[in-house]
Amino acid sequence: MSPVDPDLVHAIESLYARGVTDGLPVVPPTRALVDRAVAACGREAGELVALVPPNYGRATVEKIAINAVMAGCRPEYLPVVIAAVEAVCDEAFDLHGVSATTNAPSPLVIVNGPIRGPLEINSGAGVFGSGWRANATIGRAVRLVCVNLGGARPGVVSMSTLAHPGRYTYCIGEHEEASPWESLAVEHGFAPEQSTVALLAADAPLGVYAQRSRTPEDLLPTLAASMAVISHHKMTHWGDTLVVLSPEHAKILGDAGWKKADVRRWLHERLQWPVCELVPGHNGGEGLPEHVLAKFAHPAAERAMIPKFRSPENIKLVVAGGTAGRFSAIVPGWTFSKGSNLVFRRVLS
Amino acid sequence: MTEYLDPTDSVAVPRKTAPRPASLDGKVVTLLDISKAQGNHLLDRLEELLRERATPKAIIRKKKPTFARPAPDALRQEIVSATDVVVEGLAD
Repeated sequence: MSPVDPDLVHAIESLYARGVTDGLPVVPPTRALVDRAVAACGREAGELVALVPPNYGRATVEKIAINAVMAGCRPEYLPVVIAAVEAVCDEAFDLHGVSATTNAPSPLVIVNGPIRGPLEINSGAGVFGSGWRANATIGRAVRLVCVNLGGARPGVVSMSTLAHPGRYTYCIGEHEEASPWESLAVEHGFAPEQSTVALLAADAPLGVYAQRSRTPEDLLPTLAASMAVISHHKMTHWGDTLVVLSPEHAKILGDAGWKKADVRRWLHERLQWPVCELVPGHNGGEGLPEHVLAKFAHPAAERAMIPKFRSPENIKLVVAGGTAGRFSAIVPGWTFSKGSNLVFRRVLS
Repeated sequence: MTEYLDPTDSVAVPRKTAPRPASLDGKVVTLLDISKAQGNHLLDRLEELLRERATPKAIIRKKKPTFARPAPDALRQEIVSATDVVVEGLAD
């Protein structure tokens, strides 16, 4: 048996003690490992990529590389991590709110385009699960950047009451090859040959088991019922949210000639309720906020309809997961008025 | 001993809190509502108590557009330039 390397043990323990990890052991960021990652991305070590809210730490290429090494990234993953860091630091993502809120969001990285192949980013079976180096470490690197450069330390700045396991890592690829539609990125103006990341401040995925559904009319009411309870059953005017359709579910819709826009419109129209059913105190204490109630003379009798989502476009559809199984998932965004939005960046490599 | 690089930005150290005044008498106090539900109830009561137990020069009420984002720069500057003490009300 080889002797234990005291340097390595000391490094792992001291990094944990400094509060710069996520609780799991990290790869100690040596000069050689960090330089190798910086060299692989072809950018200058000192180049400033972003300022990371809420502490506005300087995310240079080298600082991102240090966190990526600690997360266990291979050098070739760094361009994806850099693009994801740019995206979360975009004003539209509201990382300040995401990192400080008592709610539970964590940045979800959704990868589109050809880079999924060489990096072996999983978009198939077990897409949200463990076992894939790229998914595991790219998502983890983004979180370490939020903590170490943004200051999102749990219990210090990050005051989430519950959080969720996606705060260790949260990264998926879209299963573009198994989709009847254009990809999420193409839908948002990118070319199919471009690689992108889309970042969503996301709650944990909620599985939708719809195994007997064979038609859109079977499937969509089941999906809608799971979307109705996002945040709580009377939350309205919600923003960007991901519907992750398994290939089998997407095929049901595609074979019936439904486009993404048709699915969004159907779900948006289904998910609305009259004001009288959304008054706080009726079927639970939650409900419409005061400034919305104030628009109606008699809210308890008002039949005007209020939608769950601000618009059909806030319902983002991606296809992911294994080719066997009629299971989808709803991934709620964190989208209070003027809150976080889905943000895209190209991966430059 | 191997060198390990620092994953943090040593410039971005947590800010220290401002020194606390010994008394609120003669001070301008801003009560900042962050737009969380019922935050105004908390701050209304605080204003009552401040008027009852101290003699501030003025009590100013301000409101953030949303709790989900930092206060806009203009609002922050306005508060900083006119205020000795800020109380921010978090509620639900």
